[in-house]
Amino acid sequence: MAFCVAVIGKDNAPMYLTTADMEQELDLQYHVHAALDVVEEKCLIGKGAPESKELYLGLLYSTENHKIYGFVTNSRVKFIVVIDSSNVALRENEVRAIFRNLHILYTDAVCNPFYIPGESLTSKKFDRAVQKLMSGNA
Amino acid sequence: MRATVGLMLSHGSVEPVMSRPDYEQNALHHSSLLVLLRGVGPSRARILQRAFEKVRRVNSIKVNDSSGNTRTIWVRFIHEHPVEHNDWGDFQTHRRLLGLVTIGKFDNQPELNELCRLHESLKVRYGSTLYESRAIFFGPDEPNGLETIGEEKSSTPRRLQDDFTTPSNFKSQAFFYREQDSCADLESRIGDFVSALFWVLESRRLERSREKAEKVSLLLAPFEKRDFVGLDMESRNNRKRCVGRVMKNLADLSLQAGLVDEALSLYHNANETLRTVGDSLWVGATEEGLCAASAMLLYPQMREIETLHRNSSLQEAGTSPLRHTPEKWRASDATKKVTTAPETTNGEATVQQQQQQQRLTSNSSSCSSVSSLVTTANNSSASDTPTTSSTTTSSTSTISAAPLGGNQRNGELPGNILKAEEITNYYRKAIINYSKYRHAATIETEAALKASRICIEQNRPLDVAMFLQNILYINLSMSEPERVKRFEIITDLYQQIGYQRKAAFFQRLAALKHVQQGSQAPDWLQSYRLMLGSFTGYLLCLDPLEVVGNAAGWPALQIDLVQSLITAARRLGHSALATRHMTFLLQTQWDNMSPTEQSEMAIQLQNLSAQCEGSPVPLVLENGTVIPPANLTDLPYCLDFQVKDLPPHLRPQRIKVAKADSGPFLFTPIHFNSVDRRDKKKDKNKIAFLWVQNDLSEVCVRLRNPLPFELTVTDMRLLTNGVVFESLPQTIVLQPHVPTYVPLHGTPIETGQLDLQGYSTHTLGVKSNCRLKHMRGRSFPPNYLVEVIPALPRIAVKTSLPQTATFSNMNSADIVVTSASLTLYNGESSSCTITITNESAILPLEYLEVNINSNVEQELQRKIFRIDEEALQAKLPVPPQGTIDFVVEVYAEADFVCPQPPSSVGHSSAPAAGDYSLMSGSGHASLPSRVGSPQHRRHEPQTSSFRSTMSGGQPSLAALSLQPEPSSIGSQFSQHIEAQVRLKYSGGEALTAGYCRQCAVSFNLELLPSAQITSWDVLPAEIASQFYLVLDISNLTAQEMSLNYTDNKNILIEAKESCRVPIPVDRCSLEQVCAARAAEVAENLERELCFRTQLLSFNDALGKLCSEHIAERVKINWLLTGTDIKGMASLRGIVLSQSMVDLTAVSPLQWSISFQDTPVQPHSELVCTVGQRALLCIQLTNDSMQPLKNLVLSIKFYQDYLNGMENYNLETRVAFSGPNRISIPILEKQEQTQHTCSVIFFTPGRFKAGIECTTNPQQQQQQQQKKPTSARSCPSATHVVEGQLEMFSSSYDEQQAHVWKFIPPIEVTVVEQ
Repeated sequence: MAFCVAVIGKDNAPMYLTTADMEQELDLQYHVHAALDVVEEKCLIGKGAPESKELYLGLLYSTENHKIYGFVTNSRVKFIVVIDSSNVALRENEVRAIFRNLHILYTDAVCNPFYIPGESLTSKKFDRAVQKLMSGNA
Repeated sequence: MRATVGLMLSHGSVEPVMSRPDYEQNALHHSSLLVLLRGVGPSRARILQRAFEKVRRVNSIKVNDSSGNTRTIWVRFIHEHPVEHNDWGDFQTHRRLLGLVTIGKFDNQPELNELCRLHESLKVRYGSTLYESRAIFFGPDEPNGLETIGEEKSSTPRRLQDDFTTPSNFKSQAFFYREQDSCADLESRIGDFVSALFWVLESRRLERSREKAEKVSLLLAPFEKRDFVGLDMESRNNRKRCVGRVMKNLADLSLQAGLVDEALSLYHNANETLRTVGDSLWVGATEEGLCAASAMLLYPQMREIETLHRNSSLQEAGTSPLRHTPEKWRASDATKKVTTAPETTNGEATVQQQQQQQRLTSNSSSCSSVSSLVTTANNSSASDTPTTSSTTTSSTSTISAAPLGGNQRNGELPGNILKAEEITNYYRKAIINYSKYRHAATIETEAALKASRICIEQNRPLDVAMFLQNILYINLSMSEPERVKRFEIITDLYQQIGYQRKAAFFQRLAALKHVQQGSQAPDWLQSYRLMLGSFTGYLLCLDPLEVVGNAAGWPALQIDLVQSLITAARRLGHSALATRHMTFLLQTQWDNMSPTEQSEMAIQLQNLSAQCEGSPVPLVLENGTVIPPANLTDLPYCLDFQVKDLPPHLRPQRIKVAKADSGPFLFTPIHFNSVDRRDKKKDKNKIAFLWVQNDLSEVCVRLRNPLPFELTVTDMRLLTNGVVFESLPQTIVLQPHVPTYVPLHGTPIETGQLDLQGYSTHTLGVKSNCRLKHMRGRSFPPNYLVEVIPALPRIAVKTSLPQTATFSNMNSADIVVTSASLTLYNGESSSCTITITNESAILPLEYLEVNINSNVEQELQRKIFRIDEEALQAKLPVPPQGTIDFVVEVYAEADFVCPQPPSSVGHSSAPAAGDYSLMSGSGHASLPSRVGSPQHRRHEPQTSSFRSTMSGGQPSLAALSLQPEPSSIGSQFSQHIEAQVRLKYSGGEALTAGYCRQCAVSFNLELLPSAQITSWDVLPAEIASQFYLVLDISNLTAQEMSLNYTDNKNILIEAKESCRVPIPVDRCSLEQVCAARAAEVAENLERELCFRTQLLSFNDALGKLCSEHIAERVKINWLLTGTDIKGMASLRGIVLSQSMVDLTAVSPLQWSISFQDTPVQPHSELVCTVGQRALLCIQLTNDSMQPLKNLVLSIKFYQDYLNGMENYNLETRVAFSGPNRISIPILEKQEQTQHTCSVIFFTPGRFKAGIECTTNPQQQQQQQQKKPTSARSCPSATHVVEGQLEMFSSSYDEQQAHVWKFIPPIEVTVVEQ
């Protein structure tokens, strides 16, 4: 379903990135990194009313092969999901669902008392769950 | 035009598509006249640059049209224009090239001809659209130089034209200038040229506007030509299409001709007309036209950006909008409509100027004109102010909504203008329309770029991003360089909206495109440049320290980017750069790499540096970029950095001087020195010890090699600052992951403060400066400061004795430089020569202080070691390389006297002492065969024997056993003495600075036992002035010993044997005693006053005196037979009991005894008869210095059986008349007392009389009084007269019982009558 999932810290340092196709990982990293500008822009716009802020940022941009969606938590941790452009069947609601689930997974992972906020996520459980989420049977 | 179409059609293979999008285009260019500005001719020298600028400065003119309205005509100068772009001139008229200006320089006629030819050929090339052309020719300078430039100015061009003539076929208008000419009229001429263009355009516009709607022909975009072949042009739809297109064309022309309002309405009309017929392409064109016209009114400042861009070649101009992004935000927030005054984008300086102007003048209109003046002053010279000022006034007129307020001059915008937010929508629509046509891709791309530029102006970054993103989708068949160009433009635009990451992304893409596979001519230089440019987007910068400090960004991307950069640098053939970047990569991304990556990179670096060694100097690229040095700070990883003190024996010390001034207090809480001492503690990097100039110093570094292979580090040196320091290179091979200590050496050449900053390495082919302050994660101070003091001399020390096998474990054993060992028998003497060589090359040894430290007491040490200090000091100074020596005299001092045997021995012998055995009375007859221990003698004060002891022989012999008990060892076993001869030395400047060095010679002295006196006694000698000291001497050596105990008496003692020797010794004279006493008392008095210490009793003092007396007189020399080892045993420390002391000292009492009125001589025979009364007269004189008190004189007769038995029970044989015990309460100094008694012997025989005088302490006396003695005693005068006695005399007899005997005893032979 999703092609790549990335969690990016509030200082825009990568905390977690996984992809279905490891060969493209670097390339995807470049794309995800480039998407951050739009994320920041959208966060900036949403700054006015924090209560009503929509966490889901929608489609950030799309390329020939990928559609890149963004989501930002209230602690400014960003989730980026890359979806294959060819997958036209995927609806935006489903993308939202992916983000919601990812948010829950992230919250669970961060609740680990041994996790230091801001460090990269190395939890295996989180990784497994994200992989599952990506394959679409979460 | 038809001809061109025909040309195009004939070249069927050529795609009728603009292959090259004009990436620089913006919306406002729709209204400009396109003029090709070309330099022609071979020599396009830089001098023409000025002319180019002058021409370009004329970007607009103000023209009064036929109806008297003022129109602003804009010009756009371009350098390149593909001919096929003209084909789109019908579609959008601003794409048509209208004018041509060539600038050329010639030196002679042929060159001029060539320039003309080039101009003409360009004319021909663009002939289909060209309205007008101009040629600007720069001729050679006048041969007669610059003499009268001002005067000849007017004539100069004429003369040039006279000298050189243009060819006949040259029809264009030409301007001739001298090379150095200021070309003052050039701008106005260009203005004329532009107005000429305008008038042609205006005529075309009028022509077009007058066309009858029925007659207009269909305007076509180049690719549409085939689409309309054979179509019915007369159909209603197509008629409409024709009309709409013409209307649109007219709108374009109107826009160019400065009639914006007209253009707007025409666009609107055309848009509606064309929409009805579904002519999407042209609908798009009208929409774009609407946007362009609106933008022209809304954002006139966009032109100024452009001019600014052109004029300032600075790159800064490109980034300046970035900086103002927040400002833009505020502006747009505040006024919704875009009201940005021109100055916001025009640089802050203008803003300030403008604001200043605003404050100065209340009139806003004048203010705006002034400000426009200011603005234009930036752009154009004063000469064309009228022209440009009109443009800017028009620009100010458009911003009627600006906060400036009262701009009443044609302030209203036309009603049909697009609103700011509508522009975006219209562009979007236009793009959608264009996108329906494959061949309109270029138009679409350009439209998107224009849209994004407008959006930048509107501060809508998301829309910018949207438009830019859209560009990528446009399927445009273009060459690779074009693609790259596209990416670069996108990058630039993203940068303008502050999307650094996006910009970097596209910049990197562009870089990759430059060198992508299959590319015929990969441009690594461009690729490198772009990669470097994308650094900021990935939060990288060229300075590794900054990157390390930030520790931000995406490591994976950073690594990838730097690696690509390295590849580019390598392919460029710039291996120094490649090495530098590789070093940078290792330095900054080390922590983000896996171990395998780390080692791979390290190996890569090694390979790269094999071509060009890396060194820590900044590299400067051709474009001026400075690549700061990168250092492999953590390769190898430094775990520890320890500044080492000098070796102990070379360590400088302060020469101790008496404290100059420490205040009047012995203790004060105010520490005068502590202030700076505390400061030093705070100073973590301040090293507590000192280094010495010209002395090799050491820093110990612990390094770990984090790589899985052996790492060779060569040329490791210390990095220092401050005083000159000569660092010695060090080369090491580090095993993987093993921390290794590496000593780094160096010599400070000067004195002062040395600043140790780190070390430099050369590893993996890269030279690095590893400074402590750059080592993260370890708590290193940024540097270490070491004080370097002036040079000190060095010495080498040798001894004449063999070295010891083991080093001593004494204090400060570390300063020992050499050692000496010596074995001596107790009492033996030897010497050791210590040789000191001044090793320093220049410094003399001026100061030398020798002292000895040992593990024995000071006093004893002084006896063992002796150094002639004076002789030594006399030998100073020692010149460089000079040598001195001095002698240490060693004497094996030991206690030869066995310490007193344990008390148990004494007690055991006490009862034995009670057995009075009779011995022969003749003192000289035999030497005492028994020696009693001093203890038990105290218990027998009443003994009448003249000997000091009458103890039984056996027990004392037991104490004399040949193998003395081990418990009573004194010097029976070998004794080790460790000593250090410490040498403090200095010289030269350091001496004046108060520093010295200390080294030591370790002395290992083994003292073997030789002779020992196990016990001793004192016997009266035959003469009163002497006594016999009887010694039991053991030979503790393993050899036979010859003992010389008096001047001429020798005795041989077998190994481990002992023997007894009598030594006659002079008694201690009374004067001595008295003198000693007086001294003692005086001393005591003093002490009493000062310290109230315990008084040393006189008897102890006397005992000491006697002991010293003996020690002084008795020297026992021994010699180990067969060797030349000899020594001398002293009797120092011998302990004498009271009775011994009495014997040793001359008696204070002078006896004078007469028997039968005959004075008794020693050993004289006295004879009397039985039953006859014999008169015994005893006269006592106190010879001592003080009175004697409580004396008891007693006379006892006894018979000596000469077999050790003495019979005192003589009641039946002898009778006394008169008391035989007389108490003398006090005997004053020099006082005499006499006692006379008669004796009657009842039987014949030999009798002896023991006459002695005892002193009794008081209590004893009292006891005696209670216990009636067997003897008759006279009433004792126990009157105590202490009170009247002086203190010093009171103590003589008070405590101690003394016994003074008359020696030898009187011998009386009683014969029968």
